[in-house]
Amino acid sequence: MASSSRFSVLSDSANSTRYSLPTTPQQRPFLKSNIYDRNLNKTRTSEVSASAFAFLFSEMIQYTQKRVNGIADLERRLNILGYRVGTRTFELMSWRAEATSKAPKREIRFLPALMIIHTQLWRAVFGKPADALEKSVENDDEYMIIDNDPPITRGISVPRDLSSLSCSALTAGIVEAVLDGLGFPARVTAHLTPTSNFPNRTTILIKLEKSVIDRESALGNN
Amino acid sequence: MSHHLFLLSPNDTPLYSLTHQSSKPTTAPSYPLSSNLPSWSTTTFAGTLSALSGAAGLNQAPAGGGAPRIGSGQGRNVVQMIAYASLDVIEELMRTNPAMYLKGVDKFNEWTVSAFITLGNMKFVLLHDGKNDDGVKAFFTDVWDLYVKTMLNPFHSAHTAIKSAVFDGRVRASARRHL
Repeated sequence: MASSSRFSVLSDSANSTRYSLPTTPQQRPFLKSNIYDRNLNKTRTSEVSASAFAFLFSEMIQYTQKRVNGIADLERRLNILGYRVGTRTFELMSWRAEATSKAPKREIRFLPALMIIHTQLWRAVFGKPADALEKSVENDDEYMIIDNDPPITRGISVPRDLSSLSCSALTAGIVEAVLDGLGFPARVTAHLTPTSNFPNRTTILIKLEKSVIDRESALGNN
Repeated sequence: MSHHLFLLSPNDTPLYSLTHQSSKPTTAPSYPLSSNLPSWSTTTFAGTLSALSGAAGLNQAPAGGGAPRIGSGQGRNVVQMIAYASLDVIEELMRTNPAMYLKGVDKFNEWTVSAFITLGNMKFVLLHDGKNDDGVKAFFTDVWDLYVKTMLNPFHSAHTAIKSAVFDGRVRASARRHL
């Protein structure tokens, strides 16, 4: 590097045609390829090792736990992290589903959108569809997605003093991001609802904003 | 024939914009606004009026082979105004129309506004004069692909401006190919 800079000084002051100076080599790009060169379908079927994810997730939770006071705050932070995952996953998922079609479509009705989350999103993120989709009987604006054994919390045993914590807050964040993107703003939370068969059974509770309900009723049942 | 592309985040912050001059020949449109006005009235607002009345008016402005004036100065402001003004129409339309590619959502004199909405609620808005539906659609599909790739960067959020030189280069290349 030092020698080449000396040469370039020389060639500035002297007539460059008299000396056959080596031209400074073209700066090599630091990375040979970048994301823009890659095909988005390349990693479509590849999977992440569960232990690698468990390690990463454990670090994420520890990092977050040091910076919060209280379980609600911790869940909120995990929700925000999930939101960041959700925006990306959903853009990629929709690209993979729609980019080859002649007229790519968005979902504008709420129930089909919920079905997409229940099956396609769950399959893209966890490799299997969610186990149930329910509508609250008491409240019109509440929906629930139920996973009997969420893969991301399989390696987690929650200590007794944090028993109300559900690390699926991350999943709730993902769902919230997808609903937001589709134009159905909602508050999404995760709750542990164990049964005797499924001690890890988790409910993702979706509480829609009033504007969504109004819009749905305005669009009617067609 | 010129094109203006704007990428807008879900809360309508502009993230990226591009002005593209197409070399492809096009049928010359008429310019009702500037031609209907008496010449004395156009002098003061000449820049604005020529921009309002279409791209070709701007093309003629830099006589003597200077750099095209589009993308700077007054014409730029007007183009931005038209693009952002069409957001209201787009937002209304996207509630009832499930297609991602919304063609010809808005018209302003010779300008046609086409839009593309991703599922993450990113809006791509393109101002163009002249009709080129297939080209515009292919261009939007390319930009979508590039945008998804940008979005996969963990340091990029839906609200950060896109400054990547590679992204810019790819969008320009695609514009040359399709528009």
